Amino acid sequence: MKRTMTLNLTDAEMSVLEVLCEEKGLSKTALVRQALRLYKSVDERLARGDKVFVESANKTEKAELMVL
Amino acid sequence: MKMLLRAVPLKNRLSDKFEEASLFQGIDADNLAHIEGRWRPMFEQRKLHAKTTGESLSEINAEDAHWQWGKKMIAAVQDPFIFDIFVLECAGNTQAIMLVRKGGEKCFSRHPDHLRAPLIYVDFLSTAPWNRPKLVSEPVYKGGGRILISTAVSLSLNEEMQGRIGLHSLPGAEEFYLNQIGMTDLGKDSDYGGLRYFELSAPKAANFFILPQQQ
Repeated sequence: MKRTMTLNLTDAEMSVLEVLCEEKGLSKTALVRQALRLYKSVDERLARGDKVFVESANKTEKAELMVL
Repeated sequence: MKMLLRAVPLKNRLSDKFEEASLFQGIDADNLAHIEGRWRPMFEQRKLHAKTTGESLSEINAEDAHWQWGKKMIAAVQDPFIFDIFVLECAGNTQAIMLVRKGGEKCFSRHPDHLRAPLIYVDFLSTAPWNRPKLVSEPVYKGGGRILISTAVSLSLNEEMQGRIGLHSLPGAEEFYLNQIGMTDLGKDSDYGGLRYFELSAPKAANFFILPQQQ
C-alpha cells in the first residue's frame, strides 16, 4: 500500500531535489525513496558500530562519515 | 512473505522440453530446507571428489557452496525496504535463488555511460547444483540464472533505474555475466576481495528482453 505525504521544502532544497532528479533520471518519489534507503543503510551500519569512510579519488585523504 | 510473481518456462536439458517453473518474490522454510537438505549434500559430495582429482572450486563451479542462505533470508525478511529475495521453483524443488539490494552504498553505477546513477545490486545468486554443467555430468535445467537476472532487470525498471544492475562475480561465473548476459566488465575491485565488478548498462538493459531475431 502506498501513502501520500506533503513535503515542505525551501527553494534551495527543492532546487537540489530537482537537479538530482534530472541528473539521476528519477521522479521525486523515486529519488526520496533512494535517499531514504541510503540513509537507512548507512545509519544501520553506524548503529552496529561499523565505521563508514569516504576516500578521495587519489586515496590521499580518508574521512570518517558521521550521521546526525 | 512469499508471493508468486509469474510462471516462466524452464528448459529441461534431459528431456529437451520446457517445463513450467514458478518465480516467487520472498522465500519460505521449504526453500531453505531444499538448499540445506538437497543442495548442500550434493555440493559437499562433489567438493570431496574434487579434492581427490585436484580440481578447484572454480573448476567445478562450486565457489558459492558455503553461502549461508538462512542468514541471507533473515536479512531480507527483516529489511524489505533495502533487500529483495527471489526464488525459482520447478518440479517441487528450488532451482535458483537471488538476493538483491535496492539501495545503499553499493547501488551507485560505476559505468562510464551513467556514473553514479542508481542501480539494483545483485548481492548473491545461486543455482541448484544439479543444474551446473561443471558440477554434474548431466545438468537438468538450463536458464535459471538468466531468469533471475531478468527479474533483477525488471525490478530495476520498476524502481525507475532504467534496468541498470551491478554485481561482483565469482571467477567461475564471469563468463556467464560477460558473454551470456552481456554485462560490462569494469575490472577487479580491490575493495571487494579482488572480485571483478560487472554492470548491465541502461542501453544494454533496454535490449535485454528482445530476442536476437527481433533486434
